[in-house]
Amino acid sequence: MANVQASPATSAAEVALSYPSPLKEFWQGFSHNKGAVAGLIFMLAIAVSALLAPWLAPYSPIEQYRDAILTPPAWMEGGSSQFLFGTDELGRDLLSRLIHGARLSLLIGLTSVVMALVPGVILGLIAAFFPKVLGSLIMRLMDVMMALPALLLAVAIVAILGPGLVNTMIAIAIVALPAYVRLTRASAMTELNRDYVTASRVAGAGLIRLMFVCVLPNCMAPLIVHATMSFSSAILEAAALGFLGLGVQPPTPEWGTMLASARDYIERAWWVVSLPGLTILLSVLAINLMGDGLRDALDPKLKRAA
Amino acid sequence: MFAFILRRLGLLLPTFFGITLITFGLIRLIPGDPVEVMVGERTLDPQMHADAMHRLGLDKPLYLQYVDYLGNLASGNLGESLVTKESVWKEFATLFPATLELARMVMLFAAVFGLLAGVIAAIKRGSIFDHGVMGLALTGFSMPIFWWGLILIMFFSVKLGWTPVSGRLDLAFDIAPRTGFMLIDTWLAEAADPEINAGAFKDALMHLILPAIVLGTIPLAVIARMTRSSMLEVLREDYVRTARAKGLSPARVIFIHTLRNALIPVLTVMGLQVGTLMGGAVLTETIFSWPGIGKWLIDAISRRDYPVVQNGILMVATLVILVNFTVDILYGIANPRIRHAK
Amino acid sequence: MSLLQIKNLSVEFGSEKNPFRAVEGLDLTVDQGEIVGIVGESGSGKSVTMMAMMGLLEGQGRIVADKLEFDGKDLLTISARARRKIVGKDISMIFQDPMTALNPSFTVGYQIMEVLKLHQGLHGAALKQRALELMEMVEIPAAASRLAAYPHQLSGGMSQRVAIAMAIACNPKLLIADEPTTALDVTIQAQIMELLVSLQQSQNMALILITHDLAVVAEVAQRLAVMYAGQVAEMGKVPDIFRHPAHPYTEALLKSIPEHSKGAHRLSTLPGIVPGQYDRPSGCLLSPRCPYVQQRCRDERPELTPYPQGAVRCHFPLYDKESR
Ligand SMILES: Nc1ncnc2c1ncn2[C@@H]1O[C@H](COP(=O)(O)OP(=O)(O)OP(=O)(O)O)[C@@H](O)[C@H]1O
Ligand code: SF4
Ligand SMILES: [Mg+2]
Repeated sequence: MANVQASPATSAAEVALSYPSPLKEFWQGFSHNKGAVAGLIFMLAIAVSALLAPWLAPYSPIEQYRDAILTPPAWMEGGSSQFLFGTDELGRDLLSRLIHGARLSLLIGLTSVVMALVPGVILGLIAAFFPKVLGSLIMRLMDVMMALPALLLAVAIVAILGPGLVNTMIAIAIVALPAYVRLTRASAMTELNRDYVTASRVAGAGLIRLMFVCVLPNCMAPLIVHATMSFSSAILEAAALGFLGLGVQPPTPEWGTMLASARDYIERAWWVVSLPGLTILLSVLAINLMGDGLRDALDPKLKRAA
Repeated sequence: MFAFILRRLGLLLPTFFGITLITFGLIRLIPGDPVEVMVGERTLDPQMHADAMHRLGLDKPLYLQYVDYLGNLASGNLGESLVTKESVWKEFATLFPATLELARMVMLFAAVFGLLAGVIAAIKRGSIFDHGVMGLALTGFSMPIFWWGLILIMFFSVKLGWTPVSGRLDLAFDIAPRTGFMLIDTWLAEAADPEINAGAFKDALMHLILPAIVLGTIPLAVIARMTRSSMLEVLREDYVRTARAKGLSPARVIFIHTLRNALIPVLTVMGLQVGTLMGGAVLTETIFSWPGIGKWLIDAISRRDYPVVQNGILMVATLVILVNFTVDILYGIANPRIRHAK
Repeated sequence: MSLLQIKNLSVEFGSEKNPFRAVEGLDLTVDQGEIVGIVGESGSGKSVTMMAMMGLLEGQGRIVADKLEFDGKDLLTISARARRKIVGKDISMIFQDPMTALNPSFTVGYQIMEVLKLHQGLHGAALKQRALELMEMVEIPAAASRLAAYPHQLSGGMSQRVAIAMAIACNPKLLIADEPTTALDVTIQAQIMELLVSLQQSQNMALILITHDLAVVAEVAQRLAVMYAGQVAEMGKVPDIFRHPAHPYTEALLKSIPEHSKGAHRLSTLPGIVPGQYDRPSGCLLSPRCPYVQQRCRDERPELTPYPQGAVRCHFPLYDKESR
């Protein structure tokens, strides 16, 4: 080393070394995306109304006001300030039904994500760690499941199990499973080739430790992003099942189920048709906006592209 | 190239058998009496029940039943509907053109506009157009299409009276099905007999527009998003810089050197959309009473017409894997690196 | 008259409010048929300068210059269409990584013939014949069959030969080679360098050779520009600079030659790194790292000043022993 002379201040190097904390960096990236923040705020509002539904909703979601059937929303001619968003064909308060519906949608979304994520991650890790026999067996099975259109598979499952809330969640979780398995396997395979995994192996880490402590945390970013996206598709699928009459059954105020019965009023009562669907659209859009923001903030490769 | 196709075929077969396993298992998982499930017969007499079990082969061990099932499939026997007593294959064959016509229209619509929007958004990255297209694409991607269909009907059919509400053609027309594609059939009929059939083609088109828009919304959004991000990725590649350094025109750089490579992932996504399309067809056909296989399956489920459910799903799944297989082959043609890979 | 004249060229990236000057006040001339070497650490703006000149930064960087002239044509005011008639024909460029510089979807032959078709209007048998000739000129064995090969079927060295064939297809007056050997194996590096120099002589074209390898420059180039942080630090004839470097940075570069090896893009003899967007000193850009730094260096930015053997950007050039 022919070092010429120790130079005084190497400010450049020092500046470069003071990185922000990961969480702060994440939040900076996320909050930079205005759409993502708007989505987050909207979803927080939905979550609050879901949690506080019994107190927030002006009426019971199934109570029928027989003398106020198909009342238009309050701002319309013939509307009444009693029913802000109007009433449906049985005289039930639409706003109350929408608020209670948020509970169901979030519940279905959350449960089915967890029910797909946990086995999906485990199967994916197994497939990555034992790629030969077990891995290819799992992956072939996932191929088969992927070959069936998602909604059709969900419909088929519900056709076997019968309609209802729990079966809807099961069907959606099964449909979502293959994507988690594939994603986990793919990111775990990449990680497995890295030196730190070899190092832990050499250091004698056990299989379970390698899987869940060593590899899994490094696969989290794509999994989190995908979980967000599959949360929104779960809401959509649940609503579609409800719409087809195969999901949550009336009079439970599920958003899709509400639309199924509203079809007959398409010529007379636009609000009965528009509002539940709009709520679905906005919720799904909000979650997808968040998902985009999460991906930009979590995935350093895509961050550049944004 | 030939070896490449063979390799893909090798992957296709296990998937197909996997699906037959699922559809085979499907029927057996349904709670209730198997005879009733399989033939809709309600028999209280134990002797008749046993006879039926034997006749249907349900008293054999499960693996033999599966072999029987495969044998039936191989000989083209897909069973018959409990409701109409028609063969499932025949019903499928009659209804499939309606779905295919819809799906083709949709893919055409989604591919043309999705590619166009994605390419322009990528080139004009950060512009108002880019933001607008991406905002709309995310909205489309988040769309509950069954509601979207209702809204369009409410607006265009009920309020404006521009488009019909349901079906493929007005009942006033009596068009002989020749190709099964209503646009072609009506066009032929109009050409053959302009007096009687005037306006049939337009009527068929008007019937097709709303369902096509509804079913096309999600594929359109997905294709636009994918095209944009793929284009942006390829535009950063060294070889695009090389192409510009050769003095090629911007159009050539974008459409030959960039789009060609950017299309590869878009093509895969388009292939995957066919699955989404079949799922969406179930909803779209239900809303618009479109007499295709989506509506057929849903009707079968609500009527507990299990042979139709079982083999209808098998047919759809087979279709989807065949399309994906074709896309795989196209992918190989588009991407020499894959084609030559071992 | 010089073939290429660049005066006071600046290239800015980033937003208007928050700009980053990748190139600042750069002067460079290249004469017909000569080899000019450009050296400098990673990030010193060598590639950006060349890409700006060729119009490859469209929509990315903002370019300002007093003069940007090639072969009597003003590249600053020229229309994009007219520029495309020159770029790829009279000026062409080969890049650092041959494995990513060729389009994976098209055959080698297609990519070579594309230039010939565009700039020379060749077609049919003549086109194929010329492409084959070029492949042979860059010494690709089994040229005829290689025309149908896809880039991923070629090695790095072969790909770089193809890139060279593409670049010299229209007998350019100026060839820019941006680190043409950095990504290659050591054994191949020498072959490619040899090929480039022999082509330069046989075609009598000017060659700008961007490299980290001073040994190569010493061997082949007539003149040398040393770049630091977007500026030319020193410029002159190769023998003069190698014997008596005038700029402290050049001196440090030369001292590092024996240790210089592939992939070592940082100078072991000068601690620290090239200043980035946020830490550009207000005085001499080298002042945080320079062993001869004085107060004046921190206050005042030096200009590129001619002296008999060349030009140097330093308040206290090394030939000027009295001043320190
Ligand atoms: N398109 C761009 N946008 C923003 N900054 C850029 C862009 N291209 C280059 N830069 C920046 O300009 C500076 C000079 O880059 P350049 O590629 O010219 O360096 P170089 O001298 O060629 O280095 P190397 O030896 O690594 O090739 C770098 O700091 C780089 O980050
Ligand atoms: S001006 Fe000063 S700091 Fe800059 S190179 Fe010369 S001696 Fe070093
Ligand atoms: Mg460079």
